[in-house]
Amino acid sequence: MSNYLGIDIGSISTKGVIIDEDRTIVARSYLWTEGNPAQAAKRVMAELADQLLPGTAVVGAGTTGSARRLVGAMIGASVVKNEITAHAVGTTWLHPDVRTILEIGGQDSKIICVDGGIAVDYAMNTLCAAGTGSFLSSQAHRLGVEVEEFGPIALTSKKPANIAARCTVFAESDLVHKIQVGYAREDIIAGLCHAVASNYLNNVGKGKKIQAPVVFQGGVSKNVGVVDAFERLLDMPVAVDPDGHLMGAFGAALLAADAGPVSVDGAPGAPVATGPFASGQLDFEAAEDFTFTTREVECQKCANHCEIICVYRDRDLIDAWGNRCERGEVKVP
Amino acid sequence: MADTKKAAPVQGTARLQSTVHAQGMMQAQNTAHAQGVAQTQGMTQARAEDATVNVPISDDARTQVVFQRDEPRRAIPFPRLKKKVKRDRHKRTKVSIFRYAYYDPAFKFFVEQVLDCDYLQLPKATKRTMELGIQNSSDYVCTPFKHMMGDWIEALEMGADILVQVGGPCRLGYYGEMQEQILRDMGYDFTMLNFSHGIEQGYLGWGREVLKMVNPDIAIPHGVKQLLACGHMVTLLDRARDFYMANGGFECHHGDFHRAWEGLLDAMRATTTKAQIDQAFADAMAEMRAIPIDKPNDPVRIGIIGELYTAIDENSNLGLDEKLMDMGVEVARTLNFSNRYTHYNEENMRRTIAEYVEYDMGPTSTMTLAAAKKYAQLGFDGLVHAKCAGCTPEIDCIPVLRRISEDFHVPVLYLTYDTETSDTGLMTRLEAFYDMLAMKKEAK
Repeated sequence: MSNYLGIDIGSISTKGVIIDEDRTIVARSYLWTEGNPAQAAKRVMAELADQLLPGTAVVGAGTTGSARRLVGAMIGASVVKNEITAHAVGTTWLHPDVRTILEIGGQDSKIICVDGGIAVDYAMNTLCAAGTGSFLSSQAHRLGVEVEEFGPIALTSKKPANIAARCTVFAESDLVHKIQVGYAREDIIAGLCHAVASNYLNNVGKGKKIQAPVVFQGGVSKNVGVVDAFERLLDMPVAVDPDGHLMGAFGAALLAADAGPVSVDGAPGAPVATGPFASGQLDFEAAEDFTFTTREVECQKCANHCEIICVYRDRDLIDAWGNRCERGEVKVP
Repeated sequence: MADTKKAAPVQGTARLQSTVHAQGMMQAQNTAHAQGVAQTQGMTQARAEDATVNVPISDDARTQVVFQRDEPRRAIPFPRLKKKVKRDRHKRTKVSIFRYAYYDPAFKFFVEQVLDCDYLQLPKATKRTMELGIQNSSDYVCTPFKHMMGDWIEALEMGADILVQVGGPCRLGYYGEMQEQILRDMGYDFTMLNFSHGIEQGYLGWGREVLKMVNPDIAIPHGVKQLLACGHMVTLLDRARDFYMANGGFECHHGDFHRAWEGLLDAMRATTTKAQIDQAFADAMAEMRAIPIDKPNDPVRIGIIGELYTAIDENSNLGLDEKLMDMGVEVARTLNFSNRYTHYNEENMRRTIAEYVEYDMGPTSTMTLAAAKKYAQLGFDGLVHAKCAGCTPEIDCIPVLRRISEDFHVPVLYLTYDTETSDTGLMTRLEAFYDMLAMKKEAK
């Protein structure tokens, strides 16, 4: 039994899956990061451990998401990959015929064009987080609605309000204006969902040829209002996988499976067993027990004063990054 | 008819005679003053003694007479064949040029050999440079302005007398004016040699500007010779860089290429003649060619295109080409200083992309698009388009790049740089781009 763990630590939520040798998901977890990626990763791993049958061995791990490096160092991951690759790998495994992947997460949104199971082009939002999950949740807060209820409410609307989609700041002031003028709540919510979809297509999807079949994923894909808006704007069916929000973690797990099981005796080509993997398989309790601290050091070797992040497991330095030249390099034992 | 024909030379002679006459008078006056004799008396004497009065003269003699002067010729600046030593009653001026990629050896050569001044070598840019630049620039100005602003303030703090700003075909042309104003408002005293002034009059206007603002004692033939050598150095630096970018990603021992490259820059900084420049280049190329590399037959190849400052300057693009090389990519970048300035033929380049572009759209647009199409035709795996936030000409290029990308099935990664210093987001995008290209290659 060789299972692999994949964790996707995003800015808003942390996702984790465990896949078996057939590459099907056997355990899944999804919770809020709450500004503490290390703690979130631990909680995800605890949740996953509860779902596993006793005696299943996890022999490798992959991390992705914005805190991939930190958590990767913590759990001794064999693969640390960016979220774009992880999403592409995960989705093309589940949907081999997919041509376009739309993804809207908490802070970023991306589009991946696929041809023959291989990503051929991608784009990612650049300077601002307009029309992402965090925008929707802050507007939900303003309207006094849980963001999870957005979708069903939006579907009840007959005539969505027209909300400026260009920029979050404009959208917000437009929204306040529409509320004060007296638009119905469901029309405003449907308008917001529409604004997210059209903003995405105008910014991230600009110039990309969107071809069917289309798969929509990321946290926002759970919002049926946005899915409906996409289907109307694109005039084609948009598929949402029930595990669509876990696709990054799934991709990371697949990549870890490709890398093979960790090796204790340092076999050539195999990932090295460290940290909770020291015994050759993941020791969930050890992962719980380790305490991780990060320390920010200002390098004094030159006038640039790089901020170097040092990660300690218990009291051992396990990784460091942030230096811009070899003078600030921290030697990890 | 015959009368008028005859009359003309006679008139000419008459005018000539009067000139000679007046000169004679002046000579007489001077003598008169010196001796303290009555003026009129001296005048009559001089006229009587002057043998040239009323004597017809030959054409040869006429030219001699007209250019005959009683004072020694006043010095005119051209041609002066020997390099003139600057008078030591003036202190040597310190000249500073903004930081720009790896061109500081050429800037140093230009200041020391062409302008004949001291060069103020700026240390590597730090976060403080950036902060100074941001503080003292308008928020929405293009990013290179902020970088240069930081450079100027540091240069002035280090005691620069003269700042050199280049002219340019986009907003760059207005930078000098604006920066001079801002720095003066901050209370600095300096001279700005702004090549936006005078460049519209061609090389002569440019030269006049240099003589007027920096150093009137420049030996012009020497300066011209060294200016050509300076252009030659820029070309060689770019050629070495192209070699480095094509092979640096495949070195067997990490850091070899970088060391050779730094050695080349150091050697170039020490040169004073064209022969030395050629020697330094030959040595460095031999060193780079000797570095063992492990290059696959079909590596991932990426072409960098974009705006003149951001796509080249490692300080503002956060080491884009080195990051790509570290992933094991063969990097190519047609865009560089010599391709844009020393041998640039916009019209010819535009003809290669005639199906996309009819007019020149600005500073580097034609080069960006021509290079993009060339890379696509050469079968490059991907293109990276780097520009600073608010670069209008390069934004104009994006729709055309999309068409090229569609026609040739080559993905383009669009990067916009502002004054950020964290490269996490950039690394995510570059890694994903590389993974995508590598997987695509593997699947083929």
